[in-house]
Amino acid sequence: MSYVSSRPVVIGLEVHIQLNTRSKLFCPCSTDYIGKTPNTNVCPICLAVPGTLPLVNDSAVALGSRMGLGLRGEIQKYSNFHRKNYFYPDLAKAYQITQYGLTITVGGYLDIEADGKPKRVRIHHLHLEEDAGKLVHPTADGRLTGASYSLVDYNRGGVPLSEIVSEPDISSPAEAKEYVARLRQLARYLDVSDGEMESGSLRVDANISLSNPGGSLGTRVEIKNMNSLKALERALEYETERQNKVLDSGGRIVQETRLWDDAESVTRSMRNKETASDYRYYPEMDLAPIVITDEQIEEFKKSMPELPWEKRARFAGYGLSKEETAILTERKELAEYYEAVVSFGAPPARAANWVRMDVLRVLNELSRDIREFKVKPETLAELVKYVEAKELSGTVGKEILDILAREDVPFDEALKRTGARTGRLTGGALETLIDRIMSANPDLVEAIKSGRDKKGGKLKFLQGQVMKETKGQADPRETASLLSEKLV
Amino acid sequence: MEIYEMTAAETAVAIRAREVSASEAVRAGLERLHKYEGAVNACVTVLDERAAKRAAELDARLARGEDIGPLGGVPYIAKDNFCTRGVRTTCSSHILENWVPTYNATAINCMEEAGAVLMGKGNCDEFAMGSSTENSIIGPTKNPRDLNRVPGGSSGGSAASVAAGYVPLALGSDTGGSVRQPAAFCGIQGLKPSYGEVSRYGIVAYCSALDQVSPFARSIEDLAIAMEAIARPDPNDTTCDAYDRPVFTEALSMDNLKGKRIGVFAGFEAEQMDADLYKALTRAGNMCREAGAEVEPIDLPIAVKYGVATYYVTALADASSQLGCYDGVRYGTHIDGPTLADMYANTRTESFGEEVRRRIILGTCLLTEGFYQNYYGPALKVRTRMSEEFAELFGKYDAYLLPTVPSMPYTLGAKETDPNRMYLGDVFTVPISLGGLPGISMCLGFTDGGMPLSVQIAGPRYGDAKILGIANVLERMIGRPKPCEPRKLGEAA
Repeated sequence: MSYVSSRPVVIGLEVHIQLNTRSKLFCPCSTDYIGKTPNTNVCPICLAVPGTLPLVNDSAVALGSRMGLGLRGEIQKYSNFHRKNYFYPDLAKAYQITQYGLTITVGGYLDIEADGKPKRVRIHHLHLEEDAGKLVHPTADGRLTGASYSLVDYNRGGVPLSEIVSEPDISSPAEAKEYVARLRQLARYLDVSDGEMESGSLRVDANISLSNPGGSLGTRVEIKNMNSLKALERALEYETERQNKVLDSGGRIVQETRLWDDAESVTRSMRNKETASDYRYYPEMDLAPIVITDEQIEEFKKSMPELPWEKRARFAGYGLSKEETAILTERKELAEYYEAVVSFGAPPARAANWVRMDVLRVLNELSRDIREFKVKPETLAELVKYVEAKELSGTVGKEILDILAREDVPFDEALKRTGARTGRLTGGALETLIDRIMSANPDLVEAIKSGRDKKGGKLKFLQGQVMKETKGQADPRETASLLSEKLV
Repeated sequence: MEIYEMTAAETAVAIRAREVSASEAVRAGLERLHKYEGAVNACVTVLDERAAKRAAELDARLARGEDIGPLGGVPYIAKDNFCTRGVRTTCSSHILENWVPTYNATAINCMEEAGAVLMGKGNCDEFAMGSSTENSIIGPTKNPRDLNRVPGGSSGGSAASVAAGYVPLALGSDTGGSVRQPAAFCGIQGLKPSYGEVSRYGIVAYCSALDQVSPFARSIEDLAIAMEAIARPDPNDTTCDAYDRPVFTEALSMDNLKGKRIGVFAGFEAEQMDADLYKALTRAGNMCREAGAEVEPIDLPIAVKYGVATYYVTALADASSQLGCYDGVRYGTHIDGPTLADMYANTRTESFGEEVRRRIILGTCLLTEGFYQNYYGPALKVRTRMSEEFAELFGKYDAYLLPTVPSMPYTLGAKETDPNRMYLGDVFTVPISLGGLPGISMCLGFTDGGMPLSVQIAGPRYGDAKILGIANVLERMIGRPKPCEPRKLGEAA
């Protein structure tokens, strides 16, 4: 159960989103670094070979602007880069090129829902910066001390990130999780990033403090290393509890950076980090300032797709519940799939049910993304229509969906394999089948006729046999009435 | 005339006319070099075989009737902070003493395209930090005009190579005077182009905001030819302007200064500088007047008063960040230690020289919280004010004359103990750098004792061709400097 803080919790988040450009922020190397042999996705620029100079990737500027606009921020017509100086082996130049002061967008907000109520989290700014490489430590605890050496891989060095800094408007770990989930959704809608936390495309640093009784802000602690939304929430819950306990026992919160240890479910102080870091920011003279014209801003605005909240509002018109809407609009591709099914004539509520329950179930079983789903929206629409018209039973429908999702076969072939056929089993055909089932179960028939079926279980069994034989194609009511007539 | 006495233009013409082969030109340069290098010590690396091979290739192409370029077969020296593929590039530092780049600086590629032959890598102050070419792993370069004296710096090796007649042309880099001051000390011509005129790609950086590739020669015409080769837009350097460059040699057709307005710097007391150099400035002003220009005294109060302080704040801050990449991890000298911090400290303390360490520490301090607001921030503002002062000036004048240096070349070791005195030697060159302006230091003859006299001609941003034209008029009046037989003054020549 989540911990209830006795003091108001104040959280501000810095979210790093990897922009899905093809090349790095300042050189032509690919951004597709995952799984590559260490130090093969590099060039003289991202290795900081003497004499090289950075070149700004325009599409990173465009994607950053787009994300900023999605957050209702203001694009700055003039921004520039700074150098953030510090020594660490994963930082080839010994400085990170980042924006500081004059950033690509400023302001904006993101609306989330907290405890069923709307909540607005204000955005301070969005800036562009380059990612660092990765250190590989031979020790398990991830620290340099104790290891005789470390290895460094620069494949990720220079990959473009946009850092979104919120105001300290978040007041609980659950809100923090919701904020990041909405931010990730927005990034995905805007095709700005895949937003995968597990692979590091989305990283969150959290600043958390507890307010003092008078209402003044408490000492801020920075938490890093949360690799999932769940970890983010748990780390903040742990930290809320830890800080409350420290204060309850008369202690003092130390301003520091702490790392979340997911296995142990604790945050730990990063002892070897200089607490009062001075990054000696100063302007990057190797790069001309970024100038964005009014025309470019207009183009960015024109190219904005329908945003998640706009889609949610529109989906309300389909008569869907809030929960259904939330699930269907979580990923743009799923929402688009759903709308396509509807556009092919499937009734919206039915289609929503199918997509939400069955499509997601199959995708989950296959560990696939909706973009890789084999069943075309028009096919699913057909299926939904058959079931809706009782031409096929729901069970057969699901079976057909399972076959179509796994194999490249036409609809008719899938139908054939289920042994069912479209159309309801009724009248004479149904009667013949019932007679056959009755003659195969003479004991039961006798028992029912002689009144030894008080609870009706035996009749139900016979009905079940009919449904099974017909793959649910028999009309249950007609089956029941025919059986009753014959068993009198 | 001996081959080594020829200018780059003359050499190229002679080679194209088949009067001299590229191989002969390169051989003459190498012979000259080997004759005097023991005394001058101008080159970190000499490329005997490579240069000979390239010259032979050019001769073969010429024999096939191909165009080998405007500098076809002309040997040149590049300062050892230009990246050269397959040729070690040390920046005169232990930290890069065995470093071999995998790519060429854009300027090197441009020179190759123009047909020039790289003959060696010029000695310099470590990472271009210094004004005497004494802070180097190969020891000091000596001034060929008087081997007891420094050649100036930081591009002293390139300057000395041209003065001693190894090559007619050399490349250096000028951040606060590193080409103009050694040109003045060695009695040759040097041009620091406008910032943004020549690509910096492949120049090991000292200060990104000010560094500029700059040619040395013994004639203004050669500087113009070199500019035609190297001044062009470069997609690898976003600070290199994309505009269409003028044909620099066309500016040389001007044969007088009629209609030109030239300001002569008068903002200092005569006793603040060497008397002969002061007289040279006056003489240069008179020559301009003789050539038909309107000449007036001018002052640059902000630039001269705050220039040196602003320059050192700007350059040292940048240097401290720029040199962070030499951490012993990816390239260069690596000296291990028990911890990561020890590895950094060992590598950097043992592999950087004293002046470089001093500048890194000062620069780091200047960017630190608190200091930034008092030093770096104001320096940026002063730069803006200075640019305004220059803009106003160039609204009225086509060019202005000022000294390149306040003193004659000093003797070796004289300023090693007092860096402040050395920094003040940059008083007339740094304002031009901070303004992003072009500046030529040209030789105005020699003292009775045989030491070179010089004057600096500065122009508006991207007025490089303009000042080359003006300098060329003056050079025609006074004659161009000749290569010298390196000697110690006082000894029999």
